[in-house]
Amino acid sequence: MYGVQQPTMTSTTQEHMAGQLAAIIPEAELNSWELEELLDCLNELDSRHQELVLHQISVIWPVSHSLCLAFLEAVQPALECLAADQLAAWVRGILDRYESQGLKEARRFMADLDSHFVCKLRGETGLLLSAIKGRLGLYLRGVAGRPFDLERATQPGTDTVTIFLPRSLAVFSNDQDNFLIYKLLASLQWAFVRGNLYCHEVKDERGLFAKLGPAWQADTDSEVFLDRFFQPFARPELAMAIYHFLHTVRALAFLQQRLPGLMSDSRPYFQLMARNSPPAGTAFLAAEYAELLEQLGAGQPLHLPAGSISRHCQPQRRQDDDQGIFLDTAAIYQAAAKTSPLAPAPDFQGSLTVERAHKRRQARRQEVEQQFIEALSIRILPAVATSREDDAGPETGPDQPQQPDSGANLSLRLPGDQEESRDRDQSAEHPVRHVRLDDESIELDSRLQELGREIMDDLGHLPQLYLDSAAKMAAGRSYEPGLSTSPQEGTPLTGTNLYDEWDFRRQGFRHNWCHLLEKDIQPSGGTFISTTLTEHRGVIKQLKRQFEQMRSHHRFIGRQRDGDDIDLDALTEAVADQRAGLPASERLFIRQLRDERDIAALFLVDMSSSTEGWVGKTIKESLLVMAEAMESLGDRYAIYGFSGMRRTRSEVFRVKEMSEPYGTTVQGRIAALSPKDYTRMGPPIRHFSKLLAGVEARVRLLIILTDGKPEDYDDYKGEYAIEDSRHALIEAKLLGIHPFCITVDHTAHDYISHLFGEVNYLFLDDVKKLPRRLPDIYRILTT
Amino acid sequence: MSSQKIEEHFITTEPYYREQGNELTIALAAFQHKIPLLLKGPTGSGKSRFMQYLAWKLGRPLVTVSCHDDLSTSDLVGRYLIRGGETVWLDGPLTLAVRHGGICYLDEIVEARKDTTVVIHPLADDRRELPIEKKGEILSAPDEFMLALSYNPGYQSVIKDLKPSTRQRFIALELGYPAPDIEAEIVSHEAGVSAEEAERLVRLAEMTRGLEDAGLPEGASTRLLIHAGTLMASGIPPRQACKVTISETLSDDHELVAAVDEMISSLY
Ligand SMILES: Nc1ncnc2c1ncn2[C@@H]1O[C@H](COP(=O)(O)OP(=O)(O)O)[C@@H](O)[C@H]1O
Ligand SMILES: [Mg+2]
Repeated sequence: MYGVQQPTMTSTTQEHMAGQLAAIIPEAELNSWELEELLDCLNELDSRHQELVLHQISVIWPVSHSLCLAFLEAVQPALECLAADQLAAWVRGILDRYESQGLKEARRFMADLDSHFVCKLRGETGLLLSAIKGRLGLYLRGVAGRPFDLERATQPGTDTVTIFLPRSLAVFSNDQDNFLIYKLLASLQWAFVRGNLYCHEVKDERGLFAKLGPAWQADTDSEVFLDRFFQPFARPELAMAIYHFLHTVRALAFLQQRLPGLMSDSRPYFQLMARNSPPAGTAFLAAEYAELLEQLGAGQPLHLPAGSISRHCQPQRRQDDDQGIFLDTAAIYQAAAKTSPLAPAPDFQGSLTVERAHKRRQARRQEVEQQFIEALSIRILPAVATSREDDAGPETGPDQPQQPDSGANLSLRLPGDQEESRDRDQSAEHPVRHVRLDDESIELDSRLQELGREIMDDLGHLPQLYLDSAAKMAAGRSYEPGLSTSPQEGTPLTGTNLYDEWDFRRQGFRHNWCHLLEKDIQPSGGTFISTTLTEHRGVIKQLKRQFEQMRSHHRFIGRQRDGDDIDLDALTEAVADQRAGLPASERLFIRQLRDERDIAALFLVDMSSSTEGWVGKTIKESLLVMAEAMESLGDRYAIYGFSGMRRTRSEVFRVKEMSEPYGTTVQGRIAALSPKDYTRMGPPIRHFSKLLAGVEARVRLLIILTDGKPEDYDDYKGEYAIEDSRHALIEAKLLGIHPFCITVDHTAHDYISHLFGEVNYLFLDDVKKLPRRLPDIYRILTT
Repeated sequence: MSSQKIEEHFITTEPYYREQGNELTIALAAFQHKIPLLLKGPTGSGKSRFMQYLAWKLGRPLVTVSCHDDLSTSDLVGRYLIRGGETVWLDGPLTLAVRHGGICYLDEIVEARKDTTVVIHPLADDRRELPIEKKGEILSAPDEFMLALSYNPGYQSVIKDLKPSTRQRFIALELGYPAPDIEAEIVSHEAGVSAEEAERLVRLAEMTRGLEDAGLPEGASTRLLIHAGTLMASGIPPRQACKVTISETLSDDHELVAAVDEMISSLY
């Protein structure tokens, strides 16, 4: 029936394909436009791939028509990434997602191809972003001092949080050179963000608009500053091009100074651009673009701005002059011949998308502000709390409330600079490492530094208000605990598995407050296990080898009662002791110690509904990879999940008991893990601390995987939930257990360092890294 | 093994030390009040150098012990040796420092086994004494004696964590990486590179720090920058100098090494 399997099929005419399709899909199931769509998609494919895809259609179509259409859309780009023999595995993955999680998940899975399959590069597609995203992301994070999301788009660009880059680059014939261009593009977009391309406000907007002319005096309803600036021009696109160009020159000059190596490496690229660009002609800005490329190609320091338009600008304007670039834009615009067409900008400049950036930035700014204030308030909390203990804190006490406007003693201290600095270029130099609060310098942890960096990039300074709010919040935390909502009052429970809960307001326990139930999970079948094992086989193999080495770690220890060899040091000492009239030690041997790891670990997985989707799935994959690796290590370990609702029903799910062997049953239970209810973290932590404490081992590790949001259906949330979870971890420590929390989320970091302590946690902002990092973390922790 | 003669532990010329904050004041106060010192900080952040400077400032001998997991109590306290048919007692470095009112600096204390480090407990609290079991002697530390430990609290093995009970006997000084301008000054001084070169190295270091979440528990230390600078000062091209001293030493993860290489080639 499957004519597609005939190896002889090479001709792929429309009719032929239609015939093939008809063989697969009963005519009645397909209307004409669907058929056309299918054929169109097939025709776009490389002829080598058509029969492969046809075969997969025969697999998918009976399952779901819409899935099949979605697949056809996704398959072409996918095949640039997948080797032909990987296609079938990919389709299995798609079907698995579809059957377990529905069409939406399946679509996401398709879109996420890069993370599931290591892309194979081919000459004709050049270098794929997906193949180098990891390296580029790390590079950019280091260079920028804060993370950016990298996403693909047709044009380079940024919305100030995400940097968009082309899906693939084939400017040069080798990967190394193409990577360089990726690096350049990403760095330039970062420089735009630093240079405030999407300026959201200027000092003295009225003053600026008064200088620009009457058209700018009119009332406008746009809430976006750049719109208010561009719209009054008769040809806004011309003004935007000028503005973007001026920024490009500025950003490139910044890169020349900051990343000189990058800029000199990129010279051949600029030269190529110069050679390939059409003769300058009369189009507007053409001469300027050409001159820019020439200077870049020659490695000359850029002067701002280039070319004939420079006479319209005022050279004495400072680079960081807020208004200068707008005045220059307007001046150049005035002088431009309004009729001439606009020259195309060099590719690397990318697109200017005011609206998108504005939206993203609005959302992000609030997020960052909140996170920063919250995190800083927790950071300064210990100081406030201590001063209260000492009874020395009336000046920050409730009688004398904080004065938000007394900003003088609050200032941002940049390293090596005691004064508050609002100078964007200068403060751009280094991480924001301290803030000053009441003349005390407060060191920022790395997350606060990153947030600070982002705020500086956005606003150019760290607003006083943020510091004040944090100080207030910190004061509120320690003095007005009653203000926060209280978990429902109630009576202690009776029965087994009852756990206390920490109430931070009364600084005491609510006894027998929570009821915990241990539950079984029914192992599930399906393809999850085999798919995951196949997808990650490279990693698993590598990990097994690594873990193997940890296991066979041999060590010689001296001063033993018996052993394979004589400990000469001990012997000499014993002889000397004896001569000195002391009893000589009998520990004179060296023994080879084989496996002295003696470690028991318990993996505790957050199964609350907030981990649904991306976290849930990858956590399962990670557990599987981890378990595979653990098998070659021999440490004892257990896996449990937890969730629940209300204090009366805290549930833990048994995936693998400490003594249980790993096998298909355990695998099946991992596969069956699914998001449940809420996250009351205290009870499971206490439960498993107790369990671990009873395990005979040198080191007992409690590894908690969570999105870091303790929250229950009742009032177990916010500060109460954080404080109880934190306390449960402290209790675990006191029991001699080493808790380690791995938090996976985009944003939950604000209170996390408070919750999980300084050393014992790791924050992962990209869940895709988890399968790799989890065993890695385990290795570092236990060697 | 360090020298048995206490005279050799005096530091006669002023070591170069650039203060990060008020660590000297605090350490001097700790000395005065006979409280032991715990230096926390990543490797290569100047802990050992600081101890040398402190010892010089106080005019006390500095006895340093680099801890490792084979270190025995005898290695610290001392042992009997046979010399020409006679047994002679030989002070270990700790005893040496206690006896002569020196500073004993146990570097990387967490590397030593716990059964070894118990001997420091009575020295660290107000008893300030060192029992020498084999000689049936209890040494009382003179006022000038000071105990100092260093420890790297970074994200690391739980097996090597310092016990809270130990920690709480000390005054803890955190020596993180110095502020950029200070660090550049140090690098320039130690490696003999220009101020601009040093600044650029510091910038590179900053790029590599704060990548914990990405799998790099520790970024480039001041020490690594000095190594890179020293190579550069002796004519090795910057990219190569940085590669061999920084990216290759920081990690074995290919992606991370590659990313750090990209940072280097962007800067140089
Ligand atoms: N504050 C400082 N002043 C002078 N030199 C420093 C300072 N910090 C670091 N160094 C330099 O860095 C090198 C490494 O420091 P070191 O004291 O050995 O680090 P640690 O003991 O913390 O591992 C020193 O040899 C010294 O050259
Ligand atoms: Mg040292």
